[in-house]
Order: sequence, then C-alpha cells, then structure tokens
Amino acid sequence: MADAARANEEHAWRWSARVAVLLPLAALAFAVTVLAVKAWPAIEVNGWGFLTGSQWNYGSSYGATVYTHGVAHPMGSAYGAWDIIAGTLQSSVIAVIVALPISVGAAFALTERLPAWISRPLGFAIEILAGIPSVVIGLWGLLTFGPFLAKHVYPIVADHMPDVPVLRYFRNPVGSGEGLLTAGLVLGLMIVPIIASTTTDLFRQVPRLPKEGGEALGMTDWEVASKVTLPWVRAGIIGATVLGLGRALGETIAVALIGGSILHIAPNIFQPFTTIAATILSQLDGAQTDGTGFAVATLAELGLVLAVISVGVNLAARVIINRSSRLGGPVGRGA
Amino acid sequence: MVAAIVGIALSSAVIAAGPAGAKLPKSGVETPPSATLIETGSTLLYPLWNLWAGGFGDKYSQVTIQTAGTGSGTGITDATNGTADIGASDAYLSPAVVSANPSLENIPLAISAQLVAYNVPGVVAHLKLTGKLLSQIYQGKVTKWNDASIAAINPGLTLPGIPIVTLHRSDSSGDTFLFTTFLSKADPTGWGATIAFNTTVPWPNAPGALGEAGNSGMVSGCKATPGCVAYVGVSYQTQVLQAGLGYAQLANAKGHYEVPSAATITAEAASFTKKTPASGTISLIFGPAAAGYPIVNYEYAIVNTKQSDASKAKAIRSALEWAVNKNDGNASSYLAQVNFQPLPASIVTASLKQILKIT
Repeated sequence: MADAARANEEHAWRWSARVAVLLPLAALAFAVTVLAVKAWPAIEVNGWGFLTGSQWNYGSSYGATVYTHGVAHPMGSAYGAWDIIAGTLQSSVIAVIVALPISVGAAFALTERLPAWISRPLGFAIEILAGIPSVVIGLWGLLTFGPFLAKHVYPIVADHMPDVPVLRYFRNPVGSGEGLLTAGLVLGLMIVPIIASTTTDLFRQVPRLPKEGGEALGMTDWEVASKVTLPWVRAGIIGATVLGLGRALGETIAVALIGGSILHIAPNIFQPFTTIAATILSQLDGAQTDGTGFAVATLAELGLVLAVISVGVNLAARVIINRSSRLGGPVGRGA
Repeated sequence: MVAAIVGIALSSAVIAAGPAGAKLPKSGVETPPSATLIETGSTLLYPLWNLWAGGFGDKYSQVTIQTAGTGSGTGITDATNGTADIGASDAYLSPAVVSANPSLENIPLAISAQLVAYNVPGVVAHLKLTGKLLSQIYQGKVTKWNDASIAAINPGLTLPGIPIVTLHRSDSSGDTFLFTTFLSKADPTGWGATIAFNTTVPWPNAPGALGEAGNSGMVSGCKATPGCVAYVGVSYQTQVLQAGLGYAQLANAKGHYEVPSAATITAEAASFTKKTPASGTISLIFGPAAAGYPIVNYEYAIVNTKQSDASKAKAIRSALEWAVNKNDGNASSYLAQVNFQPLPASIVTASLKQILKIT
C-alpha cells in the first residue's frame, strides 16, 4: 500500500517537473508564433527591404487603400527598419562598453580590495540599483542627467574633437541632452548591477591557491588579476555581459524618454535616435489609427526582428563561451 | 387566444412609440442614469473635458466622467474598440476607419485652434510666419532664425543667428494632423505632394529635430530648447506665455497675418459653417475668410452609435448634449478658459442629430 502511494507520488513529481520545463518553452513558442502570424501580412508586403530601408511612412490614411499581394494598406505606405535596428545596436554597444569595465572593476574591488565592512553594504547597494524601475531611471535621465551632460560635459568633448573621419562623430552640435550617448550611458548604468553581481559571485569562486601562488612568484596584483582570475571566469563574464546586453536591447521606457524619438540614425553621437522597443512604444497608438491594420502588422514585424536579434545574440554568446571553455588559461581550467 | 391579443397589442404599442431613445427634452439635455463614463484622447481637448467633467458632475452627481489626455490617435482607437466611451480627437475619422467601423461618428463639440509657438530670445512681438516658410523650416531647408526669408517678412525685428530646432509630436496626434494639413494646403506642391497630412507623418530630417509627447511635452520641450519652434493647441496658450515663449502671426489664404483670437477664429469657422456636412467631417484650415486665423478646427467626440448597454448610451448622450448646449458646456464660462469658441447654432443642431443616434 505504502509502496503504491510512494510510486504515485514519484509519478506526480516527475510529471510536474516535465510540465514546469515545458510551460516556459510553450509560452515562448506561443508568443513568437502569435507575433509571426500578426506580422505575416506586413512581411509579405515589406519583404527583405524592411531590413535595409530607411523610411517609416504610414502612407496617406486619409487617402485611398491599395492592395499588394492581396494585403490592404494605405497608398504610399513604405516601411524600412534599418535606422531603427542601427539605433538599437548602437545604444546597446555603448551600454556594454560603459558597463563592462565598471562592473568588472567594481567586482574586483568588492572581492579583493575592500574590507568586508565596506564591501557588504556596497555590494548590496549595487544590487539595489537593479531594482530601481526603468521608468524612474528614465525620468532622472530626462530631467537631470541629460541636461547636466549637455551643459557641462558634452561641450568639452565636442569642442576639442578634430575634424577627422572617426572622431567627427563626436563633434558639435551637442543638442539638449536627449540622444544616443545619454541613452547609452543610462542603459550602461542599468546593466551594471546585472554584470557586477554575477561577476562578484564568479570571482568569489576562483580558488585561493592559484592566486596566492601567483603572488608568491612575484606577480603584481594586476598580473594576478589578468592572468589568473579573469581567465578562470571568462566564460561566466561573457554570459553575464550577454544577460546585460539582452536587457539593453529590449529596454523600452528609459530609451523612449531619453532617446528623443527620432526615427533616423543619429548624425552624431549626441543627437536623438530610436530603438526597436522605443519605436513600438511611441508608434503603437498612431499605428492603430491605420484602419487597414497594416501599420500594426509592421510593428509586430519589428518586434519579431527584435526577438530574432536577441536570440541571435544569445546563440553567439553560447558559441563564444563554448570556444573559450575549451582553451584553458595558463593556470587551471579557465572554464 | 387572450395571450395572442395581448401580444399583438403590446407589439403595436412598441411600433407606435418610434425608434428607442431618440427624444430630446425641452431643456435640451436628457437626464442621465447613474454611470461612469471614460473619456480619453486629444490633449488639445483634455483641459476642456476636465472642466466639463466637473461642471457636468455638479449638475448630475450620478454620473462620473473620467478623463485622460493620451493623443487623438489613442482617442480614435479606444472609441473604436470600446475601451473608452467617448474618444476626443482634433482629427476627423479617416475613410479607412469609417469603412471598417460604419457605426462610428465624429461629433463636433467646440471650435478650437492651434498656435505656432517659438523660443527666440529677444523677440517680444508676434513673429510673422507663413505656411510655406514653416514647411521649409520643418524640412530642414531654412535652418537659422535670421534667415533672409524670415527677415524679409519681419522687417524691423532683430532676429538672432541661432539654429532653428523643430519640435514635433512623437505620439499619434490630432495637433500633428492640423499642422500638417495647414502645411499641405499652404505648400501644396512641396509638403502636400511629398508628406501630406495625418496624425503621424514621416517627419523630414531637420537638424536637431525633437519628438515630444503631448501638448504639455511640446511646451516644456520648447521652453528647454532655445531656438525651438513648436505647434501647440490654443488651450495651452496660458502655459505658452508662462513659459516665456511667443506665438506667431500666421498668414491666411488671403495673405493677411492674423493672431489666434476670438474674432479671427470665429471668422475662419464661420466661412465653413454652411459647407459642413451632416457627418461633421470637414477641415476648417486655410479657409477663404479675409480676417480668419488659418489653423482652426472642430473638436470631435468619437463615439460608437451602437452601444451594448442602453443606460450607458443614455449617459453618453446626456453628457454630449450638455457639452454642446450653449447654456452649459458651450457657454463662455467654460470655453473662454481654454480659448475655444462656441459652435454656431446650425452645427449644434447637426451635432444633436448625431448624438441622438447613439443607442
């Protein structure tokens, strides 16, 4: 009797676990499928030009309705998302460039340098930063940080840039603070807690012996860090960075507030721009006034592009992690 | 047998009574049942709806009107899918939306206008601007305030050499619809042929252009950006002046420069009163009135005439009848606070006909 009951329990437990694993996958598949179905009319009409074109024209919804491949849309509507995709990639790259050194440096300081009575509350404070809602950070960026940067920091940078090919991107005009660089900096600030807390945990796992051995051999702090600690946790840091990058790619409200909502590539790093998520947010209401439903389908297609980019970034990270796991560092596994 | 006779008698009594809910009492406003109405949409109309919600609630405490300023596009969408009971919009419904939803009506409630505000330090008087010039500015072809074309029509004003920063609405906006209609009519071969008018348009790449959300965003954005030019609803005229911004005299179709005032707005609207169709769908922009301000419009309530709940339909009718009544919502005590003008009597009659269709 007791055996049968235990066998049933075991059975129920195993099945619950299987359902628990399948539910998130089913939810993801459902979301992507519904998005694809909603976007299908737009995919048919926009074609591959959607990824390379640069205009976002609703057409004259107060004019005639035309039919392309059997799909109804306003006359003159033409959509190309390259400027929006570029804005997404640019702001996320800036965010990672800003966040990575800060996070790794903070993790180092917390685990190796600072005494426990400072590092514990500081570590806690960094994790609290992750809990601040994006809209609050966006509001701070819009009202305080952006204007401060535009008045005091950007002019110093912009005035001293020579007129040569790459650095030309950093020259005047500086604008009012709403733009690519401000958004990139704020996004970087938002992903620092993600990368820093994961990196701190990783550094704590590095065994003492190799590090102490390195110091005993006369290596400096920096050499121990760069040749022992970092290679040991390289895969983990890449993973944490990709997590942060995923958040930066999908961040909506902060970019919508700070970015300036201009559907073109920013002509220099201080000017307004937009990302996919911010575009969907700011354009959805307008898209719904298109009585043919084509504009909403195009926004769904844009969402699908973002989903594909996120998945692609994650897959690329897995490949990099696998590669670097196989190459051992000079000391130990380096996995 | 008796039941059949009673049944026939009852049904003939119903037929004799006529269409349900289509009678207007002597006061002009039906008494509403208890209800909560949701109004959302145009930020131009939002300040007035707040005043109306207060006034209507004082008279009929059994009805609460909840208001929100979310943009005309949202107003139209929410009214279409039933999220809001009354959608507020500066733009009339597009033919595509009307054919997809034949039971939607756009009902004129009041007459409003739009300013062109600017932040040009040192200019105190009302700058003169034309629609064609604004079209050039928003296309990025005229980039500085002391450009020859601006100086030519403003002799005697010292204009600074600062760059012009154009502000436009990033949300789906009836104000964008009004402004781009003005630019299309004033510059038909340029703006009208390439970009045309809509609640959202593909704005050309003017240097430094910014997108702002809502009329309040336009005012605060313009205040924070020296050299800005922005289109703002007349209900925000006080805020524009408090922010230290100026607003332009615009050239109408007869070439006269006019500021938005009760006289100029009423003159413009009057030139279209006879031409307004029963559906209320007409643009009042860039009209033939010699002394008319060129950017004037009807403020519309977008309502679905086929309501699912008869008592809510009566509450909606009551609120709208109160709003267009010249002694209630259309009285100057309300309209003057937002610089709107009352509807002419013939338009009030037409609006009431539309309102009585809501069942």
